[in-house]
Amino acid sequence: MKVLIVEDEKTLAYEMETFLKKAFYLCDLAHTVAQGLEKIEINSYDFILLDLGLPDGDGLSLLPKAKKHNPEAAYIILTARGNLEDRITGLDLGADDYLAKPFSLLELQSRMQAIARRKFNVKEEAVPLGEFSIDLQKRLVQYKEEQIELSRKEYDLLSYLFLHKNRVLTRMQLSEHIWGTFADDDYDSNYIDAHIKNIRKKLNLWAPTEWLETVRGVGYRIKK
Amino acid sequence: MKLSAKLIYFITGSKLAIVLLFILSMPFLVASIASEYTNYSLRDQQRKALDKVHKAGIDYYLQGDDSYGSYTMLKEEYVAIEPAAPELLIDTIKTVERIVEGDTLSYRVLNHTFKAKDKNYLLEIGKTVGSINQYNKPLQRIALYVLMGLIALTIVIDLIFTRVLIRPLGKIIESKLLNRKFPFKDQSEPVKTTTQDFKYLDESLISLMDQINVDFEKEREFTANASHELMTPISILQNKMENLLADDQITEDVAMRIVGMMKTLDRLKKISSSLLFISRIENDQFVKLASVKLVDLLEDIKEEISHRLEDKDLTFIIDIKDKVTLKNVNHDLLFQLFYNLINNAIKYNIEGGSVTVTDAVNKQGDYQVFIKDTGIGIASEDIDFIFDRFRKANLSENVGYGLGLSIVKSIAVYHNIDIQVTSIVKQGSTFTITFPRVMLG
Repeated sequence: MKVLIVEDEKTLAYEMETFLKKAFYLCDLAHTVAQGLEKIEINSYDFILLDLGLPDGDGLSLLPKAKKHNPEAAYIILTARGNLEDRITGLDLGADDYLAKPFSLLELQSRMQAIARRKFNVKEEAVPLGEFSIDLQKRLVQYKEEQIELSRKEYDLLSYLFLHKNRVLTRMQLSEHIWGTFADDDYDSNYIDAHIKNIRKKLNLWAPTEWLETVRGVGYRIKK
Repeated sequence: MKLSAKLIYFITGSKLAIVLLFILSMPFLVASIASEYTNYSLRDQQRKALDKVHKAGIDYYLQGDDSYGSYTMLKEEYVAIEPAAPELLIDTIKTVERIVEGDTLSYRVLNHTFKAKDKNYLLEIGKTVGSINQYNKPLQRIALYVLMGLIALTIVIDLIFTRVLIRPLGKIIESKLLNRKFPFKDQSEPVKTTTQDFKYLDESLISLMDQINVDFEKEREFTANASHELMTPISILQNKMENLLADDQITEDVAMRIVGMMKTLDRLKKISSSLLFISRIENDQFVKLASVKLVDLLEDIKEEISHRLEDKDLTFIIDIKDKVTLKNVNHDLLFQLFYNLINNAIKYNIEGGSVTVTDAVNKQGDYQVFIKDTGIGIASEDIDFIFDRFRKANLSENVGYGLGLSIVKSIAVYHNIDIQVTSIVKQGSTFTITFPRVMLG
């Protein structure tokens, strides 16, 4: 998939690029509205990540023009402004999602995947996970034909880890994904540990879960 | 004491003092007026007598006798003429005692010598003083009545006048100080008054409030800008660390250090975004149009927070009326308000304790929700400050960044919700959240 990152903070743009490249996306960078438009006119993208405060104008003004050239693309607004009007205007103008800075790159990727499933009708069959299989579309974890009862949070945790497989996720990253930004002032890692323990317990009834690793002092990882 | 009362007391007191002084000095005044008048009438009598002597000769009085004397019937006045030594020359008026038929009477006596037919005579005209002084008492009494009546009348007038005069002061206090909610967003009207001093006070208050508003606005802008400007660098650092952590080449030890850095950064991020959140609330950036069924909201929170309840083995009881719906609120903000309060009730609770949410309607018809915990409580000296930013009641534990209750307060102020706290150390705290009646849907 092809991604255009329109972001005037160059360091930030490079970090996003580095991350997304690792996840097998092809990335182009633009640092101004003009550069962004130029790239959109020439290329066709699947994702356009749009910062709002650009040096030569508001990212929102770019949105309608970009949609003309690239109606198929999914647009995600990235902004530090984070106020409600921007969000509403952005979504009104046809943006698909909205992420307030600072956001985790993991969260960005998870959103992109969700949009891809929704928007591009990417049919994902249930994928194997050890001896289990996980169906991201139907939000199911199965052992052979047997469906495994996981709570909403347990499923969210597991699918997030699965989405970022082979990558260690910290307890913080996991709790932010599950409880959002209003996960108030204490990111108590105990709760993540407790959830992981429960997941393991439930899955272990059917098959071993050695693919779900604890990385000492860092967090958890699904190894595949 | 009220200013109007003070004014009335002072005015009435001074009036009474003056009236009293007048009444006390009245005998002297009357005496001096009377004696002036007596002197005048004595002189008049003297003039008439001398006139008679001049026209009709001294014998008109003497009738051949050596001397002449005449009393009125009640001995109030008398006239006497008698010969005097040739060289004697007097012309005086004085008060003397005379014994007349056994009674000692006080007379005002005029003595005047005059010549008639080459002889020197002494004219003596007397008038009793008693007849003058006998009017003093009734006069004083009447004056007292009349003046008291007048004072009573003026008090009524004074009362009305001072009330009218002082009314603008009350209006200024009411409109400028009492019924104002900080921040003073609405421009307040100047109070109408013709009293220069009140105008001055009113204008001073208006300009003071404008100044406060300007400064407050600046502070708010600064908080919003500062926390906003921090977001981009935090963003960069966070993403850099995330990428770094994913690097295959780093050792376990480095990974742990990166996680440490990420934790610190996360703290910075949460502080900044909380401050930004507060300033957004204060800048009215949330729409208050939702109707929220409180039971549902609380059940959502219970689900969201259940892991913490389990962790401490707490009992969580929601005992509120099913029907209660709050209107004109922002759902997310209200959620955050209850979430933070309940989260605190859990955080500061003891193992195996409880958190109870109950409700009631108070006398004014306002709706109240009580969140009661069995936690460590808040010391009374801390209770006034718990809503202040970065204030943590229990510093010994690592319990947070001290912005949770500030957020609660901002949300409450924004929705016109009142929050009160009562607490007993080591027994627990109760937060009382009062929704104005108009918010009940």
